[in-house]
Amino acid sequence: MSDETPLLKMDRATIRFGGLTAVSELDLQIGRHEMVGLIGPNGAGKTTAFNLITGVYQPTSGSIEFEGRPTAGLKPHHLAKLGVARTFQNIRLFASLSVFDNVRVATQLHRSHGILHSLWRGKGFRESEAAVESEVMDLLSIFKLEGLRDEQAVSLPYGAQRRLEIVRALATRPKLLLLDEPAAGMNPTEKEELMHLIHFIQERFSISVLLVEHDMTVVMGVCQRIAVLEYGKKIAEGTPEQIKCDPKVIEAYLGEEEAEAEANGEGEEVAHA
Amino acid sequence: MLSTLHSRLSTSPVLTGAKRWLVAGILLAALASYLSGGINPYDRGVWIDCGINIILAVSLNLILGHTGQFSLGHAGFMSVGGYTAAKLTLVCAALVPAALHPLLFAAALLAGGLMAACAGLLVGIPSLRLRGDYLAIVTLGFGEIIRVVMQNTEAVGGASGLSGIPKLTTLGWAFALAAVTIYAIAGLVNSTYGRGFLAVSDDEVAASAMGVNPVRYKVTAFVVGAFFAGIAGALYAHHKQTLVPTGFDWLKSVDIVVMVILGGMGRTPGVIVAAIILTWLPEHLRIFAEYRMIIYALLIILLMILRPQGLFTLRFKKKGKEAKTLP
Repeated sequence: MSDETPLLKMDRATIRFGGLTAVSELDLQIGRHEMVGLIGPNGAGKTTAFNLITGVYQPTSGSIEFEGRPTAGLKPHHLAKLGVARTFQNIRLFASLSVFDNVRVATQLHRSHGILHSLWRGKGFRESEAAVESEVMDLLSIFKLEGLRDEQAVSLPYGAQRRLEIVRALATRPKLLLLDEPAAGMNPTEKEELMHLIHFIQERFSISVLLVEHDMTVVMGVCQRIAVLEYGKKIAEGTPEQIKCDPKVIEAYLGEEEAEAEANGEGEEVAHA
Repeated sequence: MLSTLHSRLSTSPVLTGAKRWLVAGILLAALASYLSGGINPYDRGVWIDCGINIILAVSLNLILGHTGQFSLGHAGFMSVGGYTAAKLTLVCAALVPAALHPLLFAAALLAGGLMAACAGLLVGIPSLRLRGDYLAIVTLGFGEIIRVVMQNTEAVGGASGLSGIPKLTTLGWAFALAAVTIYAIAGLVNSTYGRGFLAVSDDEVAASAMGVNPVRYKVTAFVVGAFFAGIAGALYAHHKQTLVPTGFDWLKSVDIVVMVILGGMGRTPGVIVAAIILTWLPEHLRIFAEYRMIIYALLIILLMILRPQGLFTLRFKKKGKEAKTLP
């Protein structure tokens, strides 16, 4: 496959729930090692777009391709195998499992030994389990979670849970990582750390990142390109600078009247939206 | 400091010691079998019941406790295994010299388990779409269908059931197979593959997003759980020597569910203890036999209020404290 093939290509992807068109004719491309932001007001369809990409929903019309391969009919676990990993807006860790096991579950994609191996517990099984263990511990220590290895995942502080979700997603060895509002509920210091973390992840694991986020500081600080959704439609796409000044975006966030008042001001107001 | 800790952590005792435990369990069973001549026949019979109930409860625990699928069909799987094995030994016992009966019994146990596993596959398929109460209703219906089918099949004795089944179940068989069941299910769950069962039970959407195929795991849980329930049924048949369809009604399934809930869902040691207690308890409460279901119901209600995590919560953190002191 040539490097020109975009990693992800959404072509007029549309999904309707009864009369509601949650995402309408969305075109979006993500290249390799690219950081793309997806923003928009509440209910604009950002998470639905995520669910389309990860196979939770199937598009009503239009198509989605991952590495040039149509993803129609593929289930989330198929897409995970192809290299799409995600975090969730409302943290969805495996509540009864330890920190270690949360990550361990995600590694099995690449080291699957089936039932019989688990029962026989031969040499191959032990080696494979040892390899999983060191892989998980490496990942945990990169994100400074190794000391919490045996804690129950839900007992972690909020920020650590967010980080753990990212670690778990990385354990599937993704090519594309989808982050759904990773900064939600974080204070400014934590947001700062998160931005460093996202940059670090992208370099260290050389993956592409699609980020849904309300916090403009984070989006503007991290992404090379931003797409803006409103009522399921893409109303703008461009570099952070272009998006900041786009009148349509300002209107979408602040409403029409304020938009006129703010049109001459800089994008700072948008940042607080 | 960090590196020494790592090396210690990387040899998890669960992995290295597991087979040793299995061997110990089987040796213990052999010893129990050897000594069982000294126990009075009544007590021996109840201990065999204990072994059978441990197999039932631990195997249901895989479906209900670990994978989170509420199944009321375990008695159904048990009866499939029991009838298959009993029919096999009844037909073959005369053809096989008595010395080879243990072999015949082993074959019957395996056949019973395999037939029950097929039934598990059949029930596992609707479980792809159903969860919670709906799944419970489907599995309940399945158990009843099995019972009605047995009741109306002349080949397995119809309503009067099968009788004169050779007494081949000994304490040794029951305990050894209980050890095998515990080993198999605990071993399965305590592996990277097996963590998928728990992940599916915790959050199917997240599990799926991490590459775990929920459908495969749910069906696997049913098939493996049913296999061991079938073996338990086969042991039961050759212990009681008679099988009647009404012995496998849904109340029998409820009995097993109570063992799992009482022991703590997903906690194997607790489930084993609960299975033993709930086997002995009715024996000592014969006078209250009519109130058994009332006592069970009260037990569950009290348990849900006082200890929703189960009576015996043995989830301890082995290395948590050492690890936490790290910077």
